[in-house]
Amino acid sequence: MKNARIWFKKDYECRYISHLDLNRCMLRALHKSKIPVWHTEGFNPHPFATFPLPLSLGFRGVNECMDVKLEDDSFSFEQIISGLNDCLPRGLRVFDVTEPVMKAGKIAYADFTIKIGDEKTSSHTVCEQLKKLLALDIILIEKKSKKGMKTIDIKQGIKSYAVSEQFDTAQLDIILSAGSADNVNPNLIISAFNTRFGVDYDVDITRNDLYDSEMQLFR
Amino acid sequence: MVSKEVERLLLKVQKPGRYVGGELNEVIKDKKDIDVRFAFCFPDTYEVGMSHLGMKILYSLFNSVPYIWCERVFAPWIDMEEQMREHNIPLYALESGDAVSEFDFIGFTLQYELSFTNMLNMLKLSNVPIKSCDRNDLKQIVVAGGPCACNPEPIAEFVDLFFIGEGEEVDLEVIELFRKCRQEGKSKQEFLQLCSQIEGVYVPSLYEVEYNDDDTIKSFTPKCGAPAVIHKRLMKDMNKSFYPDNFVVPLVEIVHDRAVQEIFRGCIRGCRFCQAGFIYRPVREKSPEVINSQCKALCENTGYDEVSLSSLSSSDYSQIVPLLDKLTEWSKDEKISISLPSLRVDGFTDDIMNKIKTVRKSGLTFAPEAGSQRMRDVINKNVREDELLSTCATAFDGGWTTVKLYFMIGLPTETLDDVADIANLGQAVVDTYYQCPNKPKGKSVRVTVSASSFVPKPFTPFQWEPQDTIPQLHEKQQHIKDSIKTKKIQFNYHDADTSFLEAVFARGDRRLCKAMELACEKGFHFDGWNDCFSLDKWLEIFDECDIDPAFYANRRRSFDEILPWDHIDYGVTKDYLIKECQKAYQNTTTPHCRLKCNNCGAAKYGEGVCFEKRKNMV
Repeated sequence: MKNARIWFKKDYECRYISHLDLNRCMLRALHKSKIPVWHTEGFNPHPFATFPLPLSLGFRGVNECMDVKLEDDSFSFEQIISGLNDCLPRGLRVFDVTEPVMKAGKIAYADFTIKIGDEKTSSHTVCEQLKKLLALDIILIEKKSKKGMKTIDIKQGIKSYAVSEQFDTAQLDIILSAGSADNVNPNLIISAFNTRFGVDYDVDITRNDLYDSEMQLFR
Repeated sequence: MVSKEVERLLLKVQKPGRYVGGELNEVIKDKKDIDVRFAFCFPDTYEVGMSHLGMKILYSLFNSVPYIWCERVFAPWIDMEEQMREHNIPLYALESGDAVSEFDFIGFTLQYELSFTNMLNMLKLSNVPIKSCDRNDLKQIVVAGGPCACNPEPIAEFVDLFFIGEGEEVDLEVIELFRKCRQEGKSKQEFLQLCSQIEGVYVPSLYEVEYNDDDTIKSFTPKCGAPAVIHKRLMKDMNKSFYPDNFVVPLVEIVHDRAVQEIFRGCIRGCRFCQAGFIYRPVREKSPEVINSQCKALCENTGYDEVSLSSLSSSDYSQIVPLLDKLTEWSKDEKISISLPSLRVDGFTDDIMNKIKTVRKSGLTFAPEAGSQRMRDVINKNVREDELLSTCATAFDGGWTTVKLYFMIGLPTETLDDVADIANLGQAVVDTYYQCPNKPKGKSVRVTVSASSFVPKPFTPFQWEPQDTIPQLHEKQQHIKDSIKTKKIQFNYHDADTSFLEAVFARGDRRLCKAMELACEKGFHFDGWNDCFSLDKWLEIFDECDIDPAFYANRRRSFDEILPWDHIDYGVTKDYLIKECQKAYQNTTTPHCRLKCNNCGAAKYGEGVCFEKRKNMV
């Protein structure tokens, strides 16, 4: 039995599917590709796959990963890549398979590229608004939790950021707390932004890399 | 492929994965190589439409022809529709993202009457005129097929032509004719007239209807050489009939998220309420070899780990055990489970049970349809109580603890005592569980009893029957509730209001078109969904159009009345239906096709069960 971490991109049409649906697509592809992954042994046996950090619906992911266990070594990593790509929709592309180095629980940060703007507003204006928001000491937002509405400060979850003017949009590159403990979803930043300025621009969010608490690349 | 404008809306709606396409196995073609573009529309949500087998078959079939590109279109859910209207985005096809109005054919499959308004709403969302007479060019040809096309009259003014019966051949003939007509520069009118000469095509604009003073039909007259009777089409040899080796595999979960393998068409039983049991006659089976290889290919190409064997009554497949043997040979190793829906009470044997249990245990559902033996004889269900109880005992012995039972209320000649027997039968199943020596230890039984309201349908022996009124149905529902004495039975029932509207549409005539048009104007959609359905609003519309809905739903017709669908022939003769109706009144059953030929008329197709050698024949 060998652990394998399968790296893929989630984009195009597949941006718009939920984590649950992504899971289903992956399981079907694993099944169709006949890659010898370990199956659960319960009532409904199915390929065992876990996702170190699920991606929200609507985000692009360029360095996403999924962990499986291989039952035998007869399949090379190259074979897994091409085998899965033959069985996946075009919005999901596997580009690498590695042996996992870190455990999923190590994930502490994620970096995102967020493009914000629309035709009616200059990217300069949007950039200025972004800078204003992010310069605040506290950014409070209302968040629905299991115990009802809760006010939290998302500023603490921002590790670093950069705002830049691109040719037709504003771009925010931001590193946020991620993982099971203090996850900050970039949608929270957007909702704080929208509330503060009373705007509703087009938003395009891409998750790039994951890191551990020392800012080492998650591998 | 979706446009930037659409993408902007996607994060504002629920389950945006339904509106993007891009699934595994979707067919993308180069428009340069295409002569005819066909928008295959399912008038309901993506999750419902993508579960429909007929669409999968025709999608693959059309796309197997190099010059046709068939794309899929579904009704956007209310939130998406609102966004699309607000931003002036017309309805588009999933594959190309092109507007439906650009297509040569706009085809609808009509699976249930309450989707009629969705069909019109989809045309409206496409900016295509809803009425046939307002579309004058040889493009945007609106076609429709499916079981509800058997009475096309309530939507006759909107659809240019209907496909009657099975579509695998006739659809392609019409598409080919269209291609030729366009090359020759013919008009839409010329095209439709030529179409009417193809067997299985009904062009409603080529017929004139006259009414009597009492609103019944006086005459039905063809014009322009159209045939007086339209005969259905059917596939004679199911082994040679086209079947896809590939399904589009959705990105989001759909209602029936599995591979589906058709094993036969038609049903030998002839239950008198069941339209499918009559319009798909005669029974035509696929061989176990063909089913096995088609099944294998489907699972390999889709990656599904579950395959469902589809038919009107799976256990009536003549070689069910050899078939399951063949399938389980490989399905177990590939971790694929086989599910057998539509099992009859008397078809659930130990053998079948063990086979479908090999990989995964699915739920058990039986449909006794009526509570009392007399009622089951009236509807010709041919299932006895002791059969049901012994089947349940088999299941309980095999480890099952939940059983679902489906019933109908409002059947012809039904009394409150018959209805109370539904509760009694549920109780008997509960008792059977506790008498079972091998029942699962320490577990309680759960019996779900569901009662839907009977809707009389065309081409059945009950096509002349009045439907129970809504108060009558409510009384019967309450009576079952009061008759259930245990918490181990869960009782569900269907809303009587929707069944009433369904009954109006099912046996309606052309005068309903006016109401449909008005409903479309007022933005009606998703009548089959509780979120949208309102009987009161429909009653207002009927009132405005001076239509009495009870005329269609609750009126007893006489055998000699001209029915709105009398010009359509599904193979079963009217005489036979009358005989069956009279037998129902006498509580007399009719043996099924494999026991005895009852001379229903379907033998004229020269195929299928009518020509099988019966066991009791020498």
